[in-house]
Amino acid sequence: MLIADARGLVVRCNDAAVPVLPAAAPGAPLADVVPGWLRDAHAGLCSPGPHTAPDSGRAPAGEIGGRFYEAHPTVRDDGSVAWWLVDDTDHRLVREALRMEQERGAFLAKASNVLLSSLNLARCMDATAQMAAESLADAALVIAPVRGQRLPVVTCLRGGEPETSTVTADPDAVPGLGEALRGFPPVPSRWIDPSAAPAWMVPEGIGPVGSIVITPLPGHGVPAGALILLRRAEAAAFTEEEEVFARLFAARAGAGMSAARLYAEQSSISDLLMRELLPPALHQISGVDFAGGYRPSADHERIGGDFYDVHPATVEGEPSLVLLGDVCGKGLEAAVLTGRIRNTLHALLPLADDHQRMLSLLNTSMLSSHHTRFATMVLASAVRRGSTVDLKLTSGGHPSPLIVRADGTVEEAETHGTLIGAIPTVTAATVSTSLAPGESCVLYTDGITEAKGGPMGDDLFGEERLKRALAGCAGMPAEGIVEHVQMLAAQWLNDRPHDDMAVVVISAPRTHHLSAVNGHTRGRYTA
Amino acid sequence: MSTSTVTRLTAMGHAGHIERSVELLWAAVSAGDEYAAGDLVLRLLDEGADPESVLLDVIARVQGRVGEEWAANRMSVAQEHAATAINERAVAALSTHPAARTTATRGRLTVACVDGEWHGLPARLLAEVLKLRGWQVDYLGAQIPTPHLIVHLHNTEADAVALSSSIPTRLPTAHAAITACQAIGVPVLVGGAAFGPDGEYAKPLGADAWAPDARAAADLLAREPLPRPELDHQQYDDLPHLADQEYTLVSRSGASLVRQVFTALEDAFPAMRSYTDVQRERTAEDLAHIVDFLATALYLDDEELFTRFITWTARILVARGVPAASLPPTLDLLARELKDFSRAVRIIGAGTRALSTDHSTAAGNPA
Amino acid sequence: MTTHPHHHLQLTTVDGEDSVRIELHGDLDYDNADLLVQEATDRLAARPALTDLHLLCADLGAVDSMGLCALLMIARRTAEAGVRLHLDDRPARLERLLTLTGTLGHLTAPPPPRSSATSAAEESAGAARPTGPDVTT
Repeated sequence: MLIADARGLVVRCNDAAVPVLPAAAPGAPLADVVPGWLRDAHAGLCSPGPHTAPDSGRAPAGEIGGRFYEAHPTVRDDGSVAWWLVDDTDHRLVREALRMEQERGAFLAKASNVLLSSLNLARCMDATAQMAAESLADAALVIAPVRGQRLPVVTCLRGGEPETSTVTADPDAVPGLGEALRGFPPVPSRWIDPSAAPAWMVPEGIGPVGSIVITPLPGHGVPAGALILLRRAEAAAFTEEEEVFARLFAARAGAGMSAARLYAEQSSISDLLMRELLPPALHQISGVDFAGGYRPSADHERIGGDFYDVHPATVEGEPSLVLLGDVCGKGLEAAVLTGRIRNTLHALLPLADDHQRMLSLLNTSMLSSHHTRFATMVLASAVRRGSTVDLKLTSGGHPSPLIVRADGTVEEAETHGTLIGAIPTVTAATVSTSLAPGESCVLYTDGITEAKGGPMGDDLFGEERLKRALAGCAGMPAEGIVEHVQMLAAQWLNDRPHDDMAVVVISAPRTHHLSAVNGHTRGRYTA
Repeated sequence: MSTSTVTRLTAMGHAGHIERSVELLWAAVSAGDEYAAGDLVLRLLDEGADPESVLLDVIARVQGRVGEEWAANRMSVAQEHAATAINERAVAALSTHPAARTTATRGRLTVACVDGEWHGLPARLLAEVLKLRGWQVDYLGAQIPTPHLIVHLHNTEADAVALSSSIPTRLPTAHAAITACQAIGVPVLVGGAAFGPDGEYAKPLGADAWAPDARAAADLLAREPLPRPELDHQQYDDLPHLADQEYTLVSRSGASLVRQVFTALEDAFPAMRSYTDVQRERTAEDLAHIVDFLATALYLDDEELFTRFITWTARILVARGVPAASLPPTLDLLARELKDFSRAVRIIGAGTRALSTDHSTAAGNPA
Repeated sequence: MTTHPHHHLQLTTVDGEDSVRIELHGDLDYDNADLLVQEATDRLAARPALTDLHLLCADLGAVDSMGLCALLMIARRTAEAGVRLHLDDRPARLERLLTLTGTLGHLTAPPPPRSSATSAAEESAGAARPTGPDVTT
């Protein structure tokens, strides 16, 4: 307890208060012996006029000699004030610790949320750098693990945007960085001397750096990179607690980044493998229009058991070979079989003018003692002669191609044959026809005609409905017909499950003002 | 607008020149002459026309007219597809012209249509405009299942997705796509007729932004980056009324509803029994559309969406020489089938009232 | 999305003196084609002296490509075993599928003399069946 009079002079200081305020001898000016907050509180209480303290609100409080005190005043009759000092330090520390814990908990939850939501490595690195710079340090660098010396680095200053760069540097030249990026040997966070840090590690605009810590980002059994935290010279260095906290954050960031990296690796592998299995984009070849469309049965797949290809002739003036088919089964397994068939047919291209021989050789190559997996397919050879397109069509157990005449008549090509790959000998009949300008030949798989749905929900789309729709497509460009057929099938299905669906249209262009076709682009036309 | 754009617009001349170009392209498109269409577009660019203006003031306007002609029954669905295919080729021709070649100076955007959407051209036009404005654009096309869109976003680092939809019944699917993009931290800009004349459905479906057309979308994206979506967003907070399950039950039993109402209609209109198979199928398709729109209106809890569709249908029927008289009894029968569904009954009632007050169809509607 | 009740394939097997009859109810498709192959293979193995295998198709629903694949496999097995395969009471849709794919004749042809099985067939017979045709004659 400390008593001071209205003039601001110490009157008395009891034994308990002496160790706290050793200079508070009687007669000493309060301003010289107590901290500013207590002096101001006393002055406020002793000043004339209406008082706000002490009964309104909390008692004044503040630091004295490294501990926290609340000061409860009692105004005595002589106008002096007795200040009862209550040590509040422990209470405060607990409250402060709780608040910090809550903030950190919320921060870590947010970090998990942000990092787990994206499987994009660049975005995960950005988010990691930005969050670290907001809450852990004045600046943060995130480095992805690499082999070699070109390090992908994301840098973020507090309050700034993350920036991506590539740094050419030897990670082993920085203590702890090489280990962190390799994920081996396991090392804890590592302090480095700011003056020894390489220039690329210190972002522009941060000013003098006081402390730098390198923390490995632990991934799912693989190294996920390193997090580098920097604090300015005037900022407090990292406490032990903060370091633990930074490690907790690093664990989350590492998990997010390594998941994104594994995902990127997997998807680049499957992309690479899938590229061979995807149906090609079709365009005009040697004066014949080709268009194709494909929808696999499962929405998350991009490939399935239907396939098509168009092989341009090696010699100008010879027909291009179109193939469209359907292997039994679905998904990846079926897609792999389509890949084998497409490769085999590619190798058989020198025989392209003899469809039956091609199918027969393909059949032999596909026969297996272990299964009866088969394919049905249509081969079509198409070549421009004058303004018309000559066609040769052969079906190997596949729905017959439909020909859309200029007047809207829809003809079924009279070709029939055996499915391929399950029976030792196959037969097939080839038919020839030609397309006048504006006429088209439509090849399709049974996913279209077997689409189950319609307004009543359980009718098959069927061949008749397809023919009726095609009757309205006379003179349409090839892509237009493909799109139209796909749209009708999709509307018929109305989100119901379906089989793979493929359509290829071969058209004789309506106008024949072909000027320059260089084989790669459509060229320019003069009307 | 940059000065070079202004110069180019001037070079293209006044509105009259644009009008003439629209007429020429319309002539080429309606004649099915893709070469004339491609040539016209390239010639305009050769003469110094602004590529963005050719896309939006010429090609987009011609495409708008294609839709109008179809609605007025002067064009079949197949012809509409043919016209669209030719317009697509015109866009492709434009994108190869030196005047349309740009280098990416801004960020990266993904442009896609809602799955099940068949009108890819508006999205394609937007993609081209954004390219012209210096964005790196991935155009994913018209029939992109949402899982593919998400895989694409994981693999690329898109700043935002622009999602287009013109068919209102795709809105529930659009909602799923919007939520999926946002769940991985990518903001979504939506556009297209499906979102309502003033984009009123963009907000309830949680979109981060809406733009009425391609130009506005490009301006909006240029102004400032769309903020990253909040990750703790719960999808069901957007549409609390879905808790009553009316949407789920109506959309799930759509086909049997169509069947029941169809049978009841045959009893009420004996003339229907002499319909040809094709006519019966048309009628059933119309019914299926009504049920689809009802389900969508339930999803958004929005009567307007349904009444707009019903009055539009009535006008289309009149344009096709079919009396719209069968619509009110159809709605009555549908309401009877759904009598336990209070929101559905209310929405159907609004449809019936709208029919009786819509003057443009009253002439064909003796009831 | 409308959910379709799945038409599970149900098999009823009736043993005759020299023949076995398997009645098929429901769809023969991707999800259950294996079931039929297994059943037919089991019967062929259990009845070495069998002369005829009848598949009763009257109540058969949809047959997809995997269903046809199963029929082809059964035809291969019966040929190896010298058993004649019959597809009885074929519904119109099945008939169309078999005609389109050019498999009708193959599936219902009388079995070849037992010694002339193809080499492919011999391999698979050895792999798939505990008792080969040679043992049974």
